[in-house]
Amino acid sequence: MALFHLSWSEIGQHVVNGITLGSIYALIALGYTMVYGILKFINFAHGEILMMGAYAGYFFYMALNGEGVSSLSLFLFLLAMIGSMLVSATLGVIVEKLAYKPLRTAPRLAPLLSAIGVSIILSNLAAFLFGTKSKRLDYPFPNETILLGNVAITPHQILIVVSALVLMVALKLFVDYSKLGKAMRATSQNMNVAKLMGINTDFIISLTFAIGSALAAAAGMLVALEIKIYPTMGTLAGLKAFVAAVFGGIGNITGAMIGGVLLGVIETFGVAVLGIPQGLRDTVAFTILIFVLLFRPSGLLGKKEKEKV
Amino acid sequence: MKRILLSLGLVFLVLGCGSKKLTEIPVGFIGPLTGDAANYGKLSLQAVQIALDEINAQGGIGGLPVKLYVEDDEGKPEKANAAFEKLYGVNKIYGFVGPMFSSCALAIAPKAQAAKVVMISQSATHKDVTSKGDFIFRNVLSDQLQAEVFGRYVAEKLGIKKVAILYIKNDYSQGLAMDFKRVFEASGGQVVAVETGVQGDKDFKTQLTKIKEAQPEALYIPNYVAEMAQILEQAKQLGLNVKILSADGFSNPEIFALAKDLANGVIFSNSADESGMKNPLRENFVKLYREKYGEDPDAFAQNAYDAFKVLLLALKNAYETSGGVIDRTKVRDFLLNLRGYQGVSGVITFLPSGDAIKNVGIYVADAKKKTYNQIAVYKVENNQLVEVK
Repeated sequence: MALFHLSWSEIGQHVVNGITLGSIYALIALGYTMVYGILKFINFAHGEILMMGAYAGYFFYMALNGEGVSSLSLFLFLLAMIGSMLVSATLGVIVEKLAYKPLRTAPRLAPLLSAIGVSIILSNLAAFLFGTKSKRLDYPFPNETILLGNVAITPHQILIVVSALVLMVALKLFVDYSKLGKAMRATSQNMNVAKLMGINTDFIISLTFAIGSALAAAAGMLVALEIKIYPTMGTLAGLKAFVAAVFGGIGNITGAMIGGVLLGVIETFGVAVLGIPQGLRDTVAFTILIFVLLFRPSGLLGKKEKEKV
Repeated sequence: MKRILLSLGLVFLVLGCGSKKLTEIPVGFIGPLTGDAANYGKLSLQAVQIALDEINAQGGIGGLPVKLYVEDDEGKPEKANAAFEKLYGVNKIYGFVGPMFSSCALAIAPKAQAAKVVMISQSATHKDVTSKGDFIFRNVLSDQLQAEVFGRYVAEKLGIKKVAILYIKNDYSQGLAMDFKRVFEASGGQVVAVETGVQGDKDFKTQLTKIKEAQPEALYIPNYVAEMAQILEQAKQLGLNVKILSADGFSNPEIFALAKDLANGVIFSNSADESGMKNPLRENFVKLYREKYGEDPDAFAQNAYDAFKVLLLALKNAYETSGGVIDRTKVRDFLLNLRGYQGVSGVITFLPSGDAIKNVGIYVADAKKKTYNQIAVYKVENNQLVEVK
């Protein structure tokens, strides 16, 4: 018994691979969805912030641990991750202040173009500063494969899913239950009224960028372990995560998580089951985007918004 | 009437050109001399210049000096085109060494063929380069020959019967993969899975999962370093513990930085390193080169030196047998009939296709020392794999 031509072990393997990939998408998608929720604007430089975070994490980890694995490596890796999250958070805030804030009242197209500009500047800057050769970030633990039957799982995949889960739940709790989270939700509902109620909306916006960028940096370091670090690593990951955010319902945090994981699984299975040729792999995500926009523009969990006249 | 006069005039013009007395023998060099790949071009050009000095010190060809016209193609096909137009149109060359990159060679080979200018590339390995015509030669191992030897080697010497292939959709990788598949199957092997990827891909898990299902004994990955590092990593993660086979792309030491220990034990084919075999010609050449330029010639520079030497021989032969002019087809015929020329890069004999018959080395990667060890040298003779000792 098998689904189409696949054996059960193959299906199991694709599920594992899909969920890992999807967790990464989800983590990145959170940044898009938070910024969109508050500013109604897509930060297309988000993927490049991820890339910068990965470089920062690489340099921190090399400084702390160097090559080789010791019993402290995982701890140092998490320390480097926190460092890279701080760097990316700062970078996100700087970008917001310099490139988006002055355009807040400009027509919608302006900050969008500004974001694309920032993304190109950041990836070229990285190429200039760090070179175009890939850098390898060593696993902070022996990444020996665990075989469950015929399905392979690596400690790295477990790390990805666990870290993504922890960060996502923490964010959800923060937004739903903390005072700052409440202020964020108020700002996203109506910035002007929130300002009248004494909320420092500029600070809230900066905070949103900081948190989204920090999550991107964490995702950057997690993927860097496997795919290496290079100046354009954020571009496609960023675009896919954007699709995940729209898929789940942009502006909705739970939606971004579900959208991310679903996208990862669908992409993996699309290639394996439907026999989509490798070169067309990335079109799976964008085909989904087109269908979502056609049939359910607000995404899986998004609410229909009435256009204000 | 007018038309007949015109054609007669043209005929005289052509004859006139043909019989015009030469005052020098113009030849060309095309290679990347500026830009990212400048170092390749520089080393080869220096080698060519040594050969040039040698012939002119001996009085050139038939008392005429050989004049070398050098053009820079920056490794770009469009520049190579312009370079050839100039060398042929303005300098009226009879042959040239280069271009170095397959893309450039593929771009100008049809033009050289149409103009009957002999082209000998010292480094363009793409199998289609020499199929552009009988004026197109190369003094380097072709991708096709590499796969011919390696396919037989894997089936006959390694005794591997079931191989999976994962290649990238570009000229280099696809060409090697398809040729390998054909030869391996003809040698009694079975290709149990063929999967593909795109250059720049980072995630090969889907393909590798399918490959694992097919249960091969070995995986052949004739790709570039960045993709191969990803494949090595992810194959291990998926528990696909099979022998990894590759091609000359693996000989870039960057693989050790990207794949670390996973590169260890990978078996691949490349041009044979014959430096272990005694060749006084090469030793002499390397010494001279080092004295003159303060650096060592790379393999392509040695190929370029030999390519230029045989081109000069062909020109000399054509000049002497035609009595003061150079018949372009005689230059080509000489090269096609050349057998066992002793050069610094080894023995040169051209196949009718224009490919040089080169020996293929089989190498194993050693990740600890970050080097490659040549374990054997092979050639194909009468459709048989023959070890060269």
